[in-house]
Amino acid sequence: MTTKPLRQICVMSAAIILGACSSLGVEPWERDILAKEEMQLIADPLEVSIDEHIYFSKEASSGGRGFGGGGCGCN
Amino acid sequence: MSKQKESCIRATLASATCALLGTTSLTPVNAQEEPHWEFDTALLYYGENDDRVEDISFNALAIRNFVDDRILTLSLGVDSLTGATPIGAMPFDGPQTFTSPSGLQVKTRPATEIPLDDTFLDTRYALSASWQQPWGRLNTFSAGVSASKEYDYLHLGANFKLSRDFNQRNTTVSIGAAFASDELDPVGGAPMPLTQMLEVGNLSNRMGEQDKDVLDLVMGVSQVINRNLVVQLNYSFSSADGYLNDPYKIVSLVDPITGDPIPLPPTGAEQPSHQYLFESRPDERTKHSIYGQAKYYMNGKVLDASYRYMTDDWEIDSHTVDLRYRWPLSDRSYLEPHFRYYSQSHAEFYRTSLDNTAPLPVYASADYRLGEFDAITFGVKYGWKTESGNEWSARVELYSADGSVPTNLLIGDQAGREIYPDLDAIIAQFSYHFDW
Repeated sequence: MTTKPLRQICVMSAAIILGACSSLGVEPWERDILAKEEMQLIADPLEVSIDEHIYFSKEASSGGRGFGGGGCGCN
Repeated sequence: MSKQKESCIRATLASATCALLGTTSLTPVNAQEEPHWEFDTALLYYGENDDRVEDISFNALAIRNFVDDRILTLSLGVDSLTGATPIGAMPFDGPQTFTSPSGLQVKTRPATEIPLDDTFLDTRYALSASWQQPWGRLNTFSAGVSASKEYDYLHLGANFKLSRDFNQRNTTVSIGAAFASDELDPVGGAPMPLTQMLEVGNLSNRMGEQDKDVLDLVMGVSQVINRNLVVQLNYSFSSADGYLNDPYKIVSLVDPITGDPIPLPPTGAEQPSHQYLFESRPDERTKHSIYGQAKYYMNGKVLDASYRYMTDDWEIDSHTVDLRYRWPLSDRSYLEPHFRYYSQSHAEFYRTSLDNTAPLPVYASADYRLGEFDAITFGVKYGWKTESGNEWSARVELYSADGSVPTNLLIGDQAGREIYPDLDAIIAQFSYHFDW
């Protein structure tokens, strides 16, 4: 069966990533800059959804940042 | 309004929308204590060259923040679409006549022009709602529904997302899923794939309503690197199953020597001038995407850089690079230049025309969106805050797509013709954010 090794690889990868990530980051009192609106991963959510709808209707790719979009007959 | 509260509101808004879009988001630092509404509204103009598609759209997000980090997000979008769109027919040195999608009339397009369907007219209404709440001390759960309606299209969808914080909330791992069930009811009925465009009034090759299901899965991790840098990495899987054709797109049958469309013998009826087949796509499509994003703060300026790689079993590969640079002009205003580069390869079954002496393939589409092209977006946004803390912004962008047809897809004497419908579009948006 291939599922068991796959599961082990996933668990090990997650452990390695989380272990590596534990040495990164900031203390709670160091989040002044990260809390700024312009530092949010999606700073302008409405603009992102509008752009994703435009590009979904004109290109063969969609999603990546989130769900693949859609809900229109334009593609 | 204090700057701290503004930051909190925007962080909450971003978080709520991430839940709606199914994206990874770091947990906002500040919890909003007082229940209140926030609104994000935008008026958009999108216009293409040569009187092609024009869209005027109104979009709004309403966010209700409750105590204990529970958030209700509602969204509304209304699009008014008009104009013309390429139908896939091969241009040549003579006029071409097509039966309209309804099958009730014919339209003639001039010689050498890339044939367009100018009966494009639609209004699209889209609604969505999502609920987000903490689940235990470190988890956040969200669930949402969406619906949209066009004249010939109905979309119903549901989604959920679960995220968990690690490492003093410096790491957030998320998993989400979305399911959509869409119904298509094309004007005149959905044509049977690879059947001929028929004379006016003959709908014998049209089928009834069609449907498709789409399953999306997203797994992501976002990580605070230091006080100035946050990064995100996502993997997305998407599987579509059902009617995936564009019912209004056709492919020309052409002569293998001249490369010109084959005339349809006249019967006395109002009919197409040449032989055109309705397109045929596979009824399944599986896509995989990797998406990475970094936001870097540099003495007040913010660089937002992202990259996406997508590949699918239609043999389309694409690369997308997106760069934004937010440049504060004062405490209350900023300028944000935007650059985006997109490049895709063509679908395995993309054909700009079909040789009428060769056996028909199982799948064929001349839809330019399945072709090989590069696209560039250039733009700039200007935003400013009022003294009361509300925010206005305006942006103008130019989108330019430039395609090419591989020589192995050209038939006969088609080299040198302008076959691919290049696209230039202007995007103008005016936005207003306020509290209630």
